[in-house]
Amino acid sequence: MPGTGRLEQLAQAVAERVVTLVLDSIDMDELLSRVDVDAIVSKVDVDGLIDRVDVDKIIDRVDVEKIIDRVDVEKIIDRVDVKKIIDQVDIDALIEQTELGTIIARSTSGVASEVLDVVRAQGVGLDDFIARWVNRVLRRSSTDWPVGPPALVGQPPPAPELTTGDR
Amino acid sequence: MASGVPDEPVEGRQGHYAGAVTRLVAFGADVGASWGLFTVGAAALTFSIQLVTGAKFSLTGHQLASLIALAVWEFLYFAYQWSLGGKTIGMAVLGIRVVRTDGMPIGPRQAVVRTLTLPLSFLLLGLGFIGILLNRDRHALHDRLAGTVVVYSWDARAARLRWLARQDTGAAA
Repeated sequence: MPGTGRLEQLAQAVAERVVTLVLDSIDMDELLSRVDVDAIVSKVDVDGLIDRVDVDKIIDRVDVEKIIDRVDVEKIIDRVDVKKIIDQVDIDALIEQTELGTIIARSTSGVASEVLDVVRAQGVGLDDFIARWVNRVLRRSSTDWPVGPPALVGQPPPAPELTTGDR
Repeated sequence: MASGVPDEPVEGRQGHYAGAVTRLVAFGADVGASWGLFTVGAAALTFSIQLVTGAKFSLTGHQLASLIALAVWEFLYFAYQWSLGGKTIGMAVLGIRVVRTDGMPIGPRQAVVRTLTLPLSFLLLGLGFIGILLNRDRHALHDRLAGTVVVYSWDARAARLRWLARQDTGAAA
C-alpha cells in the first residue's frame, strides 16, 4: 500500500527527531557519573571473556617482522647501561665455564707478564697499606677524596674500596 | 706465584693516584736503569776514545766532566721519557705514569719542569716527597711545581683475569 510506506517514513523521521532531542537534552556527564562502573565490571566474567579469545589467532595476524622493522634498536641500545650489565656478570664463573680462560692464558702466558702482575699487585697492596696507616695516624678519613684526575676517573666514587693486596 | 694476585674481586685501578711504595720502587728502578745505561755508555765512550787515540783514557780523571755528563744524562733520561709517553722504564715496569692534574697527557714543557724540579724534593731533606703520603692527590713538590700527578696505568682487573686463566689452565693440566 502506497500510504503505508509514507507513514513509515514519517514515523522514522519523527523517531529520529525525538531521539535527537532526547539525546541533546541529556547531560551525559551527569548520567555517567551516576553509573557505578565498578559494579558493572564486577559482573563481567573477565576470565570467561579471555577464555573465549583465541590468542593464537591474534598472534598469527600480528606481523612481527613489521613491528621489528619499526623498532629503533639503536635508540634502545643507547638506553642500555652496558657497564652496569658487565658489572653484574660473574667473570670468574664465565672463565671457569668457558674456554675463554685458556684463550687468555695462551695469549698472555709469558713469565714476564706474570712477574709484572705480581710485582704491581704487591706494590698497590703496599700503597694501600701505607695510605691506611697514614690516615689512621692522622685520624682522618679519605673516603670522600678523589681517587684520580677527573679525566681518568670521572666523578669520584663515594667510597673507594681497598681491594688489592688486602690479605 | 699465584699468591701475588688477590683472590678477591679486584677494583680497576687505572687512573687512580699512585701510592708512595709503587712510586718509590719505580724511581729506584729508574735510578738503577739510568745509572746502568750511563755506566755502559761511559765504558763504550772510554773504549772508543782509547781505540781512536790509542792512549789510555779514564773518566775518573775527569770528575767534573763526568758529573756534568751524568747530570745531563739523567735530565735527558727522565725528561725525554716523560714527554714521550708519561712514563720512564721504571714506571712502565711498575705500571704507573705521569699525567697532568686534569688527567690529560703531559707535554714536553711539563716533562722538563718536572725533571728540573725533581732534585728540589731531595734537596729539602726529602720533605718534597712527603706530599705523596699526606696530600689527597698524592702530590710531591715537583708534581705541584710541574702541575702533574702520578696515576696507575696498570689494569688490575685484566691482571686478575690473566691470573684466573692461569689457574684454570693449571688445573686443566
